[in-house]
Amino acid sequence: MTPATVNPPLLEVRAASIQFGGLKALTGFNLEIRQGDLKGLIGPNGAGKTTAFNVLTGVYRPTSGDVFVAGQRVNGKLPHQINRLGLARTFQNIRLFKQLSAVDNVKVACLADSRPLVSAERVAALRRRGSALARLGQMLDATNNYYDWWRALLLTPGFLREEEAVTRRADELLEVMGLAHRRDEEAASLPYGEQRRLEIARALGTRPRVLLLDEPAAGMNTREKSDLMVLIRKLRDQFSLGLLVIEHDMKLVMGICEQITVLDHGETIAYGTPEAVRADPKVVEAYLGEAQPAAAAGASR
Amino acid sequence: MGAASAKTMPYWARGLAPLLGALAVLAMLQWIFGPMHFFVYLSSLVGVNVILAVSLNVVNGMTGQFSIGHAGFMAVGAYLSGLFSLAVKELNIRGLPATLSDQLLLLAAIGVGGVAAAACGFLVGLPSLRLKGDYLAIVTLGFGEIIRVVVQNTETLGGALGLSGIPQRSSFYMVWLWVFVTVLVARRIAGSSHGRSLWAIREDEVAAEAMGVDTTGYKVRSFVVSSFFAGVAGALFAHFVPIINPGSFTFVKSMEVVVMVVAGGLGSTTGAIVAAVCLTLLPEGMRSLFLRLGGEDASLAQKVDQIRMPIYGLLLVLLMLVRPQGLFGTREAWDVLPKWLSRRGPALKGPVA
Repeated sequence: MTPATVNPPLLEVRAASIQFGGLKALTGFNLEIRQGDLKGLIGPNGAGKTTAFNVLTGVYRPTSGDVFVAGQRVNGKLPHQINRLGLARTFQNIRLFKQLSAVDNVKVACLADSRPLVSAERVAALRRRGSALARLGQMLDATNNYYDWWRALLLTPGFLREEEAVTRRADELLEVMGLAHRRDEEAASLPYGEQRRLEIARALGTRPRVLLLDEPAAGMNTREKSDLMVLIRKLRDQFSLGLLVIEHDMKLVMGICEQITVLDHGETIAYGTPEAVRADPKVVEAYLGEAQPAAAAGASR
Repeated sequence: MGAASAKTMPYWARGLAPLLGALAVLAMLQWIFGPMHFFVYLSSLVGVNVILAVSLNVVNGMTGQFSIGHAGFMAVGAYLSGLFSLAVKELNIRGLPATLSDQLLLLAAIGVGGVAAAACGFLVGLPSLRLKGDYLAIVTLGFGEIIRVVVQNTETLGGALGLSGIPQRSSFYMVWLWVFVTVLVARRIAGSSHGRSLWAIREDEVAAEAMGVDTTGYKVRSFVVSSFFAGVAGALFAHFVPIINPGSFTFVKSMEVVVMVVAGGLGSTTGAIVAAVCLTLLPEGMRSLFLRLGGEDASLAQKVDQIRMPIYGLLLVLLMLVRPQGLFGTREAWDVLPKWLSRRGPALKGPVA
């Protein structure tokens, strides 16, 4: 067996581009994340990092190119469908369910793995065969959602067991993220750093195989940042994740990421190990402006 | 039955236990209040409004969508159940006493009304709930008006004159049973994972979607549940008022329900109940007050209906100034009241000590 079949890519992006009117927000973006990967995505403000995240998670549909999650092409799928294939994210501008308690925030995500009466794969297989049963399967799947509500209304034992399991898992995740003491507090009332951690806990609730972190260290102090670096590594090993991190803090990115992609004006200008990327003249130029004036400024000091 | 036997009960009995309890209590209340006709009429009006407010709260409060066409769904329920009852007016289920047969037929009529309204809710919700923002408000507003205009111009539905002769089968028992069912359903949804997903959609739709919540599906389902109970309310209404006409299901009626939900606090079931009871009894109270003020002159009392909406409007403005989150905010009475009481308690005792 080749290594590729042992550890297949969980997230694969092939030449994804997106254009808003005349603005090319992302051009020819390539990426591959396997289990255990810890990759970084950096670039100056407005380089298209968050746009790339939005393309991957289905918020935007790429104008051209393909995105594969767990081997399935997901162009045009809705964000919740992509999430269920095992891709979760956090948000740059924290988007918690503010009025819900910390544990409820995580519970919402934990529920996402519900089992339909007729699995999506079965429906897809039926449709491939052109079977009229595909339609019926889909309808059964839709009614299953209502069936779920009936179970909630009648408090069936299965429903109560599931609710208990969801609560237990949410508590475990809070524990892992060091938020157990904030369990019943309103999400909006948590300090900034803890809100960021709660977002990660919530994303983990959906049982992801790939986790995308959008500026997880933004607004944190040095101490919190170094804690976060340890935590991110720990999460990768404990939950067997593949990770992609957008981050402005160079020390953090260079410190934990094994491979870094650098974006500027939507184009990938460099890719490689932290050392290689740091030495790349194009990266230096993108960050510091043209090399010469920067050098001149250094000399005059 | 003790707590130990509650655990040995089969699950369906445990899930339905509150309903069985309510049936017993309601049977007793029916025996006491049954003969008091005006009380039954007034409490039925209150009950119908409570059902409307609690069900609208599922969409407007819990899910954070803005529907302003609840009267339209109520009309669908009222007219279809009315037609059904007219069709089976002379029917008597064999082997059953007349009252029981009537009540069963009423139950069937309510089912017809509720399911029809739920189907309309599904058809209206599916396209409009895919969209974000105010589209739902516009679509539901349009739906309500379309229903009203269609009814007004359909001979078989009585046109503008209204549908009369529907058997008056509604009872105190039936109305409050459905109030209980509505509240139970709303609370069970709110307390379950599904309810949590609805709150999540209200708080942040983008994040909910990213966390694997099928936002469109959830919104449609909450809308279907809400329209079902609006239809039930309409069906009950049709069976205790002498005549139903399009004038009972105008935009004004929809707004009345919206005001109740907002006044009670968006998302609070108990708030919706309290607001619905108060706002239904308010015009009745004013009517008797004006009757006393006006003495023999009844015209003053008749004006109550005309000034009801301005008073609602004023009330809403006042509420928004004093308590913009509504009576209980997004919480329930039992979360809020103990806090209020404990806050007031020491403050009153303070100077004495």
